[in-house]
Amino acid sequence: MIYTFKFQDQIYRINLEDGKQTEVEIDGKKFPVCFQKIDERFYSILIDGESIGVGILKKGKKVEVFLNGELYEFESISERERQSTSAIISGVQQIKSPMPSRVVKILKNVDEAVNEGEGVIVIEAMKMESELKSPINGRVKEVKVKEGSAVESGSVLIVISSE
Amino acid sequence: MFNKILIANRGEIAVRIIRACRELGVKTVAVYSDADRRSLHVAMADEAYHIGPPAPGESYLVIKKIIDVAKHSGAEAVHPGYGFLSEKEAFADACEKEGIVFIGPSPEAIRLMGDKITARKIAQGAKVPLVPGSEGAVTDVEAVGIAKKIGYPVMIKASAGGGGKGMRLVRKQDEFESSLRMARSEARSAFGDDSVYVEKFIEQSRHVEIQVIGDSHGNVLHLFERECSIQRRHQKVIEESPSPAIRDKMRKKMGEVAVRIAKAVSYRGAGTIEFIMDQKENFYFLEMNTRIQVEHPVTEMITGFDIVKWMIRIAAGEKLLLKQKHISMKGHALECRVYAEDPEKNFLPSPGKLEYVRSPSGPGVRDDSSIYSGYEVTSFYDPMLSKLIVWADTREEAIKKMDSVLREYIVLGVRTNIGFLRRVMGNDEFIRGEIDTGFIERHPELLKSNGNGIELALIAAALAIRNSTKEEVETATQAKVSNWKLFARKLAVSGKIAI
Repeated sequence: MIYTFKFQDQIYRINLEDGKQTEVEIDGKKFPVCFQKIDERFYSILIDGESIGVGILKKGKKVEVFLNGELYEFESISERERQSTSAIISGVQQIKSPMPSRVVKILKNVDEAVNEGEGVIVIEAMKMESELKSPINGRVKEVKVKEGSAVESGSVLIVISSE
Repeated sequence: MFNKILIANRGEIAVRIIRACRELGVKTVAVYSDADRRSLHVAMADEAYHIGPPAPGESYLVIKKIIDVAKHSGAEAVHPGYGFLSEKEAFADACEKEGIVFIGPSPEAIRLMGDKITARKIAQGAKVPLVPGSEGAVTDVEAVGIAKKIGYPVMIKASAGGGGKGMRLVRKQDEFESSLRMARSEARSAFGDDSVYVEKFIEQSRHVEIQVIGDSHGNVLHLFERECSIQRRHQKVIEESPSPAIRDKMRKKMGEVAVRIAKAVSYRGAGTIEFIMDQKENFYFLEMNTRIQVEHPVTEMITGFDIVKWMIRIAAGEKLLLKQKHISMKGHALECRVYAEDPEKNFLPSPGKLEYVRSPSGPGVRDDSSIYSGYEVTSFYDPMLSKLIVWADTREEAIKKMDSVLREYIVLGVRTNIGFLRRVMGNDEFIRGEIDTGFIERHPELLKSNGNGIELALIAAALAIRNSTKEEVETATQAKVSNWKLFARKLAVSGKIAI
């Protein structure tokens, strides 16, 4: 069976075949694999004798794999989804809070022009201030927060539209 | 020795202090905010008391609450750890007035060294070289003038600062104003004081500090240096001892200078004199931290000297048993601070629940942490997860060991800097010891994974999906079996009963 994953905006496909023994296809060749749970989220995997110990966290479609100090965040996608996915690039960009934080200063107000890479808002979390920058040239369409307000991770702070 | 000590802190340092107390046969009292009921320091202490909401300003920083708990529990002494109230003169003072021993220096020493301007004067008096800069806290207008006079790049620093907060590097004059505003604003929210001073920024500098410890009988020892040049956002990430840049002669000189500064304020307890070193081996006094330092374990590893235990003994009036000539170092120690943060997003903190933690161990490995599977990293406190410390015969071996144990670490649920730390361990400049405080900025390629393990990770992900689908099918089939049978089977498997 083919498993499809998205990783950093790239699509990866991997073929696992279930027979007497599970096999994985790498570069057109098939190798036996063995998957063994050790504890809650720690697994031992043997791929044709090569052994790895990995941490795996599955949350719905998201699969986090922690291997040799690196975290890989995959999104599992079905074949149907893969075919219908076409990136719609709109001229509207939302500046979102990357984490729970507090708005310290709004640097750009509605209708002000902004350049790509220019700071639009300053937020503070864990006593550290960070300036969030505009990814595009454009104009501020909407400011959704006030100075001093607390915001959740992922909340939209400012909307910028390209001209 | 004391019978009972209150630990006015949380996280790994509270755990570290509890361990030291246990070894000394001293009972421990923990305090905790609403966010810390499930924290390890609470579970490990002999007693624990709630002191308020998560925000430090309403719990860990409220002097009266800590003093009340100390009195209520009958603690004779308070260990402040680092951060929070550790360098607040008012706290040391309040303890003294209430007849509680503050495990640390006198309120006077905290005041003198806590004020960066006075500290500079003391260093000057002890004939220690200083970085050119403003004589004291400055107004906005003065700041601009001084920056111009000493020449860019300059550093703006919070007078009440520490831990990189309220600190800004300014390379050009047109960036000065906004940096000054940000530094003041950060200083105000972190320390409740927005006064700042301006200093010349020394290019390609190393951060080297000397650990000192003094007793109340006038003895002061130094425990050699720590190199802490690998920093991000002006905060240390990797520390080591000895420094690869310091030779014996210079080590001796810096140690003597540090002891001189400590003696100038009749220093009692553990303290650290921070220096900045340029490429020509000139060193300048930066500041003194009048508390236990985060990175103290590397010193403990190479000297075998238990700094935290001695802080407690000294506070109890004991005399340092060793003389300077008895202190020696062996091998090399490295510390990596493992953070819940995202190196790819400018090291932004990554709070959340740790869905799984698997910590490394092995010979010469020390993991000072207070995390566990299920632990919640909140945005109220520093996102440090653990301090991983290794010891080996040589620096080269210590680096290899660190790389190996980082590889063993598994943390799921939040982003961490573990991969980044491993990449630093593999960097040629780092391995050669050619490091300075600009190291991370100079190596943006280390921030991102090279993606070497993607194929194996993909196989793991596919196997996990396949397995969970299989488990779901099995569960669905099993649901037809009587629950009582399932229960009995579970017990049998867990070994609680035999069928």
